[in-house]
Amino acid sequence: MEEVPIIEMKGIVKIYPDGTKALKGVDFSVKKGEIHGLLGENGAGKTTLMKILSGMLPPTEGKIYVNGREVRFKSPADALANGIGMVHQHFTLVEVFDALHNIILGMEGHGLFSKIDVDKARAKLQKLMDELNFQVPLEVPVETLPVGVQQRIEILKVLYRNVDVLILDEPTAVLTPIEVKELFDVLRKLKEQGKTIIFISHKLREVMEITDRVTVLRKGEVIGTVNTNEATPQLLARMMVGRDVVLRIQKPPKEPGEPILRVENLWVKGDRGEDAVKGLSFEVRAGEIFGIAGVEGNGQTELIEAITGLRKIEKGRVILNGKDITGRPPKELYNLGVAHIPEDRTHMGLILDMTVAENSILGLHWNAKFTGALNSIKWNTVKAYAQELIEKFEIVAPGVDAPVKSLSGGNQQKLIVAREVSKNPELIVASQPTRGVDVASTEYIRNYLVKLRNENKAVLLVSADLDEVLQLSDRMAIMYEGQFVGIVKPEEVTEEQIGLMMGGIKDES
Amino acid sequence: MKADRSMISSFIKPIMESLIAVAIGVLIGAIVLKFSGYSPIKAYVALVKGAVGSAYGWSMTLSAATPIILTALTFAISARTGIFNIGAEGTVYFGAIAAIVFTNMFANPIWGLIGGIMAGILWALPAALLKVYRGVHEVISTIMLNWIAFFTALYLVLGPLANPNDPNKTLEVPASARLPLLMRGSELSLAFIIAIAAAIITYYILWHTVLGFELRASGYNERAARYGGINPKKAIIWSFLIGGIMSGIAGATEVMGRPPSYAISQGMANIYGYGFDGIGVSLVGRNHPIGIIFSGIFFGALKAGATYMQIDAGVPLEMVKVVQGIIVVAVAVPGLWDLVKKVVRR
Ligand SMILES: Nc1ncnc2c1ncn2[C@@H]1O[C@H](COP(=O)(O)OP(=O)(O)OP(=O)(O)O)[C@@H](O)[C@H]1O
Ligand SMILES: [Mg+2]
Repeated sequence: MEEVPIIEMKGIVKIYPDGTKALKGVDFSVKKGEIHGLLGENGAGKTTLMKILSGMLPPTEGKIYVNGREVRFKSPADALANGIGMVHQHFTLVEVFDALHNIILGMEGHGLFSKIDVDKARAKLQKLMDELNFQVPLEVPVETLPVGVQQRIEILKVLYRNVDVLILDEPTAVLTPIEVKELFDVLRKLKEQGKTIIFISHKLREVMEITDRVTVLRKGEVIGTVNTNEATPQLLARMMVGRDVVLRIQKPPKEPGEPILRVENLWVKGDRGEDAVKGLSFEVRAGEIFGIAGVEGNGQTELIEAITGLRKIEKGRVILNGKDITGRPPKELYNLGVAHIPEDRTHMGLILDMTVAENSILGLHWNAKFTGALNSIKWNTVKAYAQELIEKFEIVAPGVDAPVKSLSGGNQQKLIVAREVSKNPELIVASQPTRGVDVASTEYIRNYLVKLRNENKAVLLVSADLDEVLQLSDRMAIMYEGQFVGIVKPEEVTEEQIGLMMGGIKDES
Repeated sequence: MKADRSMISSFIKPIMESLIAVAIGVLIGAIVLKFSGYSPIKAYVALVKGAVGSAYGWSMTLSAATPIILTALTFAISARTGIFNIGAEGTVYFGAIAAIVFTNMFANPIWGLIGGIMAGILWALPAALLKVYRGVHEVISTIMLNWIAFFTALYLVLGPLANPNDPNKTLEVPASARLPLLMRGSELSLAFIIAIAAAIITYYILWHTVLGFELRASGYNERAARYGGINPKKAIIWSFLIGGIMSGIAGATEVMGRPPSYAISQGMANIYGYGFDGIGVSLVGRNHPIGIIFSGIFFGALKAGATYMQIDAGVPLEMVKVVQGIIVVAVAVPGLWDLVKKVVRR
């Protein structure tokens, strides 16, 4: 007899208020105790489906069964009461609270004024962390913690509520390879405890490694569910895209030219006043991709923000094409040919409440191409430009007048990349450029960065994705505690050596 | 086609919300009237008839709408920049005083308006600069500035500007500097047209210029704005200045285009309260200049009709204030809530 699935979704249709049909009758079922992968291109409907399952969104049509019993969720609390909890693609932590209070937020005490038993909560949480060997500092404001740790807090927040089904929406997008490994250890332990996990990722390697079964969505429809041990990355890619995908970067050898960016003895402070960048010097030359690898939180963010005019430089100089640009504001840098893909798309790269068209000119909105008499903005030109970006980069969007927040995570990222690379910059600073982007688009973006390099532009790439840095860089630095442990050529080192260097150990052999 | 739909839905929703709130306000108002022993039907009929039942009624409605449209613009442009500027009230006083002074020096309406604009700019600067360079929260600074404005204005009204021939008011705006009336024997003057033009200009600035783009961007997300090459400090200063200009004009046009007094009355009753009314008008108009035109006229109608409610239905003026208040609360709660959340999150 077939076991009753723990989750069964039948005929799920979702039409957003603006008319976008995100899901067109999806059937989705998950067995108890399995790790179930959910795959699909950007905008396929993965997040939408999971938001419905976790009570965040009501379905337009369709039924949900938990353990064979029909349920109807009006809120995430209803889903939690049925043992279903979700960790979102974009974090939902209260930044000024510490981990403990974030985790118990809205949990302890039911009356308006009932007292929170913090000590009891802390003890329960500590036990949970010990069982899973999954530690986070409980008493520090989360905004000061690296993203990897924030993510753990998000996961603990859901586990703390005793869920049976844990939904993880692109949890690994923000993690380094080591952190991914640690996360997978935890997921395996949870599976041993009998928990069910739904895992969304664009990285086929991860899906192959951790899942038992995989369901593939395409344009709001289920293409199929397969057992992972019977699948191959090629098969999954084909199911997602509907054709064979050639995952290859064409990178001809190239002699780099003159230095475009020169950084001399740069010192930058972090948010807490600590020295985050400690006397860095390096240069990025024309026709070169210079990569920076390292565990997040080792000063990469501060370095990038200092170079792009967003953070104060304590000491040292930044020189662009021979011109001292130390401490110059972003606008001036952009006019000198700097483009910047920031690591944080929802807080920095985009203004979520503004439209696709408006966001497509953020940071070049003063450009003569888009402005007319009396400093007016020529919206028709802007909209046509945004439409061009949408088509060229295959961004899935309801239209140029839709607010950017209605785009799927990967499509938001693609919009930023499209905007920045289309500035035709001299220097492009790209931080996590393919974070959350699907396989096909990732290759497109990477190839585009290589194309800029081939056109003699300078590319400064920062990524937590080691594969990305190795694949793209002509030279790469490994950053640890505000300094470079070393600058190497990717083809001359092993992944092991890099792993050691990321831990601050310099291989002397 | 899809794009159209999203545009329409983002357009219709706030309008519907405002209309529903107005309906709720009217309904609760009716209940309150009923329980206070008045006939709601009779009261509302009197109100509507008085406000829009005749050309004269319309003229009263529109002239009452004029200053509050302008002060609402002050609030709206700052709200769009993520600022909670409630300093319109004090700015109105100085706008009125400047207009009286200037028109008595150069007997020409243009100079009166210039005076109002200059007063608006000058009185917006302290709060703007305190915010940008000292981090003083604008709610605190504008409340304090309102009080400073009130007593300074009162001193000027009672002292240097007192009218030697009429103990009840200040010096008058000379006849040659008054704004022409749009309808003989009414209070409706060119001031109304100026207010409408100001709303359209504000709309144009916010949605069709680089400056407006930068204001709205910093209002939504300061970090992203900075990343986008925008200087949020500059945006804040601009939004205070443009807002100040609007309230300055409100004060100026009140004394230059609102018969019969053409001066500030001794207790400043004829220029008092517009700044606060403007906040309600702006919220009901969804902080949108075009919405503000309509909500301003609606509030103007309530003001104009109130008198008739009193005469025809025997309802005291205060009851009208209650209805107004309920409507503002009903509309404002969601909008205000969004804004407070944003300000607190900073
Ligand atoms: N609030 C919204 N309003 C309108 N349309 C939306 C909204 N949220 C998502 N959509 C649309 O629904 C579709 C599915 O989005 P969803 O976020 O589920 O995609 P996804 O599979 O999670 O993609 P990604 O891999 O990029 O995260 C997209 O076309 C998106 O534009
Ligand atoms: Mg998603």
